[in-house]
Amino acid sequence: MRRRTLLAVSLGGACGRGGRRLNVFNWSDYVATDTIPGFERETGVRIRYGLYESAEEMLARVWSGNSGWDVAFPSNAFVPPMREAGLLAKLDRSRLTNLANLDPVFRRPPWDPELDHCLPYMWGSTGIVYQRSLAKPVTAWADLWDPALRGRVTMLDDPAEVFGACLKRIGASVNSTDASELARAREQAIAQKSVLRAYLNAEARDQLVAGDILAAQAWRITARQAIDAAPDRLAFVYPREGFPIYADCAVVLRESKRVELAHEFIDYLLRADVARTIAREMKTATCNAAAREAPDPVPNGGEWFLPMPAAAQRLRDRLWTEIKAA
Amino acid sequence: MKRALPAYAAIAFAFLHLPLLVLAVFSVNSSRFTQWDGFSLRWYRAALADGNLLEAAANSLAIAIASTLLATVVGTLAAYGLHKRHVPWLSGSLYLSLVSPEIVTGVALLAFFQWAFRYLGAQLGLHTVILAHTAFSISYVVIVVLARLRSLDPSLEEAALDLGATEWRTFRRVVLPQLSPGIAAAALLAFTISFDDYVITSLVAGVDSETLPMVMYSAARRGASPVLNAISTVVVVALGGLILISERLRAA
Amino acid sequence: MRSRFSLFLAPAAAIQALLFAAPLIVVAGYSLLSRGAYGGVERPWTFENYARLLDPLYGAILWRSFVMAAAATALCVLLGFPLALFISRSGRRKNLYLQLVILPFWTSFLIRTYAWIFLLRDSGLFNSALLALGVIQEPLPLLYNSSAVLLGLVYGYLPFMVLPLYATLEKLDPALIEASADLGARPWRTLIRVILPLCRPGILAGAMLVFIPCLGAYLTPDLMGGGKTILIGNVVQNQFTTARDWPFGSALSLALMALAIVPLMLGVRRRGEALL
Repeated sequence: MRRRTLLAVSLGGACGRGGRRLNVFNWSDYVATDTIPGFERETGVRIRYGLYESAEEMLARVWSGNSGWDVAFPSNAFVPPMREAGLLAKLDRSRLTNLANLDPVFRRPPWDPELDHCLPYMWGSTGIVYQRSLAKPVTAWADLWDPALRGRVTMLDDPAEVFGACLKRIGASVNSTDASELARAREQAIAQKSVLRAYLNAEARDQLVAGDILAAQAWRITARQAIDAAPDRLAFVYPREGFPIYADCAVVLRESKRVELAHEFIDYLLRADVARTIAREMKTATCNAAAREAPDPVPNGGEWFLPMPAAAQRLRDRLWTEIKAA
Repeated sequence: MKRALPAYAAIAFAFLHLPLLVLAVFSVNSSRFTQWDGFSLRWYRAALADGNLLEAAANSLAIAIASTLLATVVGTLAAYGLHKRHVPWLSGSLYLSLVSPEIVTGVALLAFFQWAFRYLGAQLGLHTVILAHTAFSISYVVIVVLARLRSLDPSLEEAALDLGATEWRTFRRVVLPQLSPGIAAAALLAFTISFDDYVITSLVAGVDSETLPMVMYSAARRGASPVLNAISTVVVVALGGLILISERLRAA
Repeated sequence: MRSRFSLFLAPAAAIQALLFAAPLIVVAGYSLLSRGAYGGVERPWTFENYARLLDPLYGAILWRSFVMAAAATALCVLLGFPLALFISRSGRRKNLYLQLVILPFWTSFLIRTYAWIFLLRDSGLFNSALLALGVIQEPLPLLYNSSAVLLGLVYGYLPFMVLPLYATLEKLDPALIEASADLGARPWRTLIRVILPLCRPGILAGAMLVFIPCLGAYLTPDLMGGGKTILIGNVVQNQFTTARDWPFGSALSLALMALAIVPLMLGVRRRGEALL
């Protein structure tokens, strides 16, 4: 079995140039084990499936405009800037036959009302995962600053999320562009570093399950996966100060030379059976209504991440550097 | 002090080797936790079943072989040239590229490639990684080969030249054979450096060029994992073996 | 004669020009440009990136990196010298011991860093042992702090110090040591007054090989410092990836380069013997 795998991989690598292929860049844990092989079987296309752990990581690669990726999955807040920067190809609705499966809530999203450039794929929210054994139950963002948890707290390695939590803690909106509010948020973040273990995204999951981390700012998906692995020890809560919601959308990059294939792949992801398997296996919150086995409404108290105006984004990026460097 | 020194040395060697031994021991631990649960090769099997990992390892091998070949040829020629002729700006440049912090050479290469590719219509990929590895390996090759050159007896070379051979012929027929252990050692050195590189590779890699260190880094970020222990042990044993061979050659 | 060796040197010179000099020139150019709205590099030309370097925040990081690198170097000298001394006095077993030093060193740096993560993490060997022995009640936070980073750096670069030190010790004239003993100095005194000063070139060579990489260290602080970005290498990497601020990152990397070259210049002037 091993030898065959080795042989297959090397032959596959060698033949890669000949067959049709598609390069897809996605968040980790956003497809089920058989999703990609299933597409490859049906269409004979080889998929190179790259993973990233943070939106910034994806943007850094894709921003050059000649990264080599065909399909990517930015969060909704990044779709308008990417569109303005000319990075996105226009979606051809006629190729997306399964579009009707999309949840009506996402059919005319504020960031792309005509669904010209993106297709909402998975929505998500952010909250806190914590060990049930903690003496003081965790209910708010402020609890992640608790000195009692020193060295066992993590935050997401994502400026929008860290700012979101800090801004909520001081009572502002996650999308604040106000310089003074952002400065105060920065102070909060820097103050937290003394109790912070690390900035980790999905990487925190294994450490949560192992008990190394006591409380973590986490995406709901990561939380559900962690709790699934240790249901009696971990719990998830939406902080009472408020929390952000977002939707990761599939986009076709303008640089792609395989636009039809890209559409075929996105259409494949829209299929009810495919989406259902993904949602069930990876515990994601899908935007695909036909895939849901149980109602999964967007929670109350959540605030959508909105696209940032350029000046505010520049300020936030600069403040993020300062937070990381402090 | 006579007794203290060997005792200290023992502790120092333990410090250097124990972490790797621990990794190896726990790579055959059947449990994924730190309690010993019996001998098992399951993590090695899991590593071999991971197609992504194997592809990354294949990439690392391909890159290392290609860059080693290029760097060894270019480096050996350059070392001979520098041995014969004093070229301060080239020596200085090679020395600088050797001691520059990796992160600086990495971002500089990234910036350069992206700038150049706007006019060339190319992309980051295996070729950029190979170029980057060749660039930094050359300095290492030059150091090793030059040191070897300086220890050679010049009389054979002079004799050949006196007998009317051209510089190139002398180099090929007289110097190269004497130099071959040094060249082999330099090549092995370049290979291990290329195989192990993370910082520069992660910056200039493209869609098709994920390498073994990159996969290991993502796994290390997730925390400890026995599969990572297994991969690490294999790499350490393989590279260690190569280095032992290199040392034998260098001493020869 | 001169032109004939040009062919030998040409490929290396071309590669240096294309893949070392040209990239640095591009970086220098970028450092004088501005960041686009969401990333990218565009006009206007400006000195703003260098002005930003003067912000005490970055000065503090550069200083912290400098101190960390200096501490790692000092520890390497302290720990490496006795080891080099031992090896140089080992007679027949010299090569064996040398190989024992070289072996872990040349196998993957990433793996050796990971080995310490495996040992030091909360459910790692040290904590498990201490917990099992009842010495502590809760796992100690051994990772994700400056000490862990320092340990990682010393572990990673110690062999870089041992080898040049050994090379120098090897070349010491034993007659000098005998003379010192004959004149009545005890071994300790001989060490401090005779051996150490004679080893200065080796110490300097090793210090250079340790200090500069530690100054620009990226992997060790990233993995063992918890990704909280404490050193200058991480900030540079951050600018070129997640922050997408290439102009500022370029200015930072040139500053780092300058900081690394300065001790080199001082060292080279003293050493005289060229490596290349």
